Amino acid sequence: MKRLRVDRWTGQLVTATRPGAAGVSSSAPRFRCVAASARRCQSTAAAAAVSESVAAAADLVDNNPRFPPLENLPPQVTSWPSPPPERALQSAKLAALHARLALSKKIPLQTLARTLVDASADPNPRFNNTNLAFVGQTLINYHVSEQLMIQYPRLPMEIFYAAMKGMAGPAPLFQIAKSWGIESAAVPGGEVDPGLLQFSLDATGDAILGFGYSRAEQKYIDKYKFRRSVASRVVFDDDFGDAITKTEFASNETEDDDHIHTNTSYGSATTRALAEKAHANHVRAVVGAIYTHCGREAVKAFVKAHVLSRKLDLHKLFVFSDPTRELSTLCAREDFEKPIARLLSETGRLSRTPVFVVGIFSGKDKLGEGSAASLDHARRKAAMNALKSWYLYSPGENVRVPSDMLNEETRPWEPAYIDIGEVIARGGNLRR
Amino acid sequence: MEATLTRPALSCCCRTIPSSSSTSRLLVRPSVAPGLRQQSTKSRTKRALNIPKHESFLNPRPTTNHIVFNPPSSEASVYHTPFKFLPKTDPRRRAQLSNLFGSSTTIQYSTPGASAEPAVNPDELPAVFPPELGTKKYHMTKEDVEEMRRLRLEDPNKHTVTSLSKQFGCTPWFVMMCVRSPREHRDKHKAAEAAVKARWGPKRTAAREERARRWAMLFRGEL
Repeated sequence: MKRLRVDRWTGQLVTATRPGAAGVSSSAPRFRCVAASARRCQSTAAAAAVSESVAAAADLVDNNPRFPPLENLPPQVTSWPSPPPERALQSAKLAALHARLALSKKIPLQTLARTLVDASADPNPRFNNTNLAFVGQTLINYHVSEQLMIQYPRLPMEIFYAAMKGMAGPAPLFQIAKSWGIESAAVPGGEVDPGLLQFSLDATGDAILGFGYSRAEQKYIDKYKFRRSVASRVVFDDDFGDAITKTEFASNETEDDDHIHTNTSYGSATTRALAEKAHANHVRAVVGAIYTHCGREAVKAFVKAHVLSRKLDLHKLFVFSDPTRELSTLCAREDFEKPIARLLSETGRLSRTPVFVVGIFSGKDKLGEGSAASLDHARRKAAMNALKSWYLYSPGENVRVPSDMLNEETRPWEPAYIDIGEVIARGGNLRR
Repeated sequence: MEATLTRPALSCCCRTIPSSSSTSRLLVRPSVAPGLRQQSTKSRTKRALNIPKHESFLNPRPTTNHIVFNPPSSEASVYHTPFKFLPKTDPRRRAQLSNLFGSSTTIQYSTPGASAEPAVNPDELPAVFPPELGTKKYHMTKEDVEEMRRLRLEDPNKHTVTSLSKQFGCTPWFVMMCVRSPREHRDKHKAAEAAVKARWGPKRTAAREERARRWAMLFRGEL
């Protein structure tokens, strides 16, 4: 069997045209030379670590008149944390992204390039996307929350938080960024193409994104796993009901270096969380850039097209602990007749796989229906369906939201339906 | 419950009225002959189940320009708010006022030639649990509760939760809300329960675990 020489497949093409590597006969130095002559230095530290002989060879390659560099970079570029703004005009990726998102001509490419620089890559707020992301996060959360509030006015607060997170949280924004075709650079730096998303896995940027307070007793909450009440979450926590911690990854700094290394290895949970955060901040920054350059209506249309158009199955967010009690409490509160579970139909009661269809009636009206293999399951399921249809009441698909009234030539506002509140405190479900 | 009366196959083969909703198709029909339980052979079952198509499918080429709406039997969507749950200001409430005395969640559709089925009277349907089971009487006084606490703490073996609930005419839940047995009594019960569970074999243990998991899945809406 013939030996496969993988290094010969493409390596000879590179070495044949590079005079710097002509005198080298063995394959190992040739590879080193190829790596060193690549335009993209992984980081300034990596560039400094290259041995002198290889650097000299790389210098020969760089100054070869037959193969001029694709882009004339400033000499100090590798020492900068992010690409300079004027390089944005030369990036094909940025122009493609601008066209793909159908952004207005009013948004310059330099701003779009700035949205791709995360605070962890460049801590200077004049060059990273923190300020734009703050504006964008506020706008996205405002539009999503007003839409949810008007369209599903009876959602319990806990479900509302979950729905906010499912529509405007980091995970859906990461998916949006991925659907835009955003690619990330391995390591940020001044020599990176400005069309790549730049974030660092080592240094975590301290970007303030959103309103909220960290609690005085946060240490004990973390230690003893205290339950946070919904009321305190409304007051203290951020828009998704998550507690604000001062530094998310601060615990890493105290631990040893090996631990940090395993945490930021490729595909680990920390890496994925950092990537998700960076992608989400990019999407928010784009929204902030649109607001800054094009105004309110444009940003509303953009959020509607990219964020609000995503479908979220709200009925899957519900978890109940005692649905029959909750339903009877609801009926007592609303002056309905007492709910009674009645058997609508059944089959195979004496068999191994029976099916019972149970409906919950309040007076003559059927509130919900559920089918299961046992009477008790079917009854609870029917009660859960009835409660879901209560909580998921919607005045309609195309309801008007308060921000519609900012447009001047609209008809007068009709008051939206506001529910009096939750049936019972649902805080117990948090512990599940 | 009378399994003989609630066979869907039976109601299918005996029906004369075309069905109009997904749920009422399987309803208990009091007019069914009580002696007829099943078909004895496969061929008879097949013949009995060979019911005619819905009227909307009979004419393959509709002459008029209309939409055939014949949904298959399925669970009702939770996004379809029952009439009773609509707020007073909702315009659908006014639109459905004519159906106020009918069944509110059934989808009303009519095909030419199909007669509307009369609305089901829910009072005729059998209740899953006796309705008086959950009726609250609010008859307990403060003295009753104190007496109950005294008895239970005095001799928890004699005055069990069940016996107290029978004595005072309340639910066991209420007894447990009012009084908690002494710690040594609880520990003894827990030890006895643990001894029973220790004797379980792998099959029974797995079955209990799966049952608990099924309940959790049910409450999460995954079942």
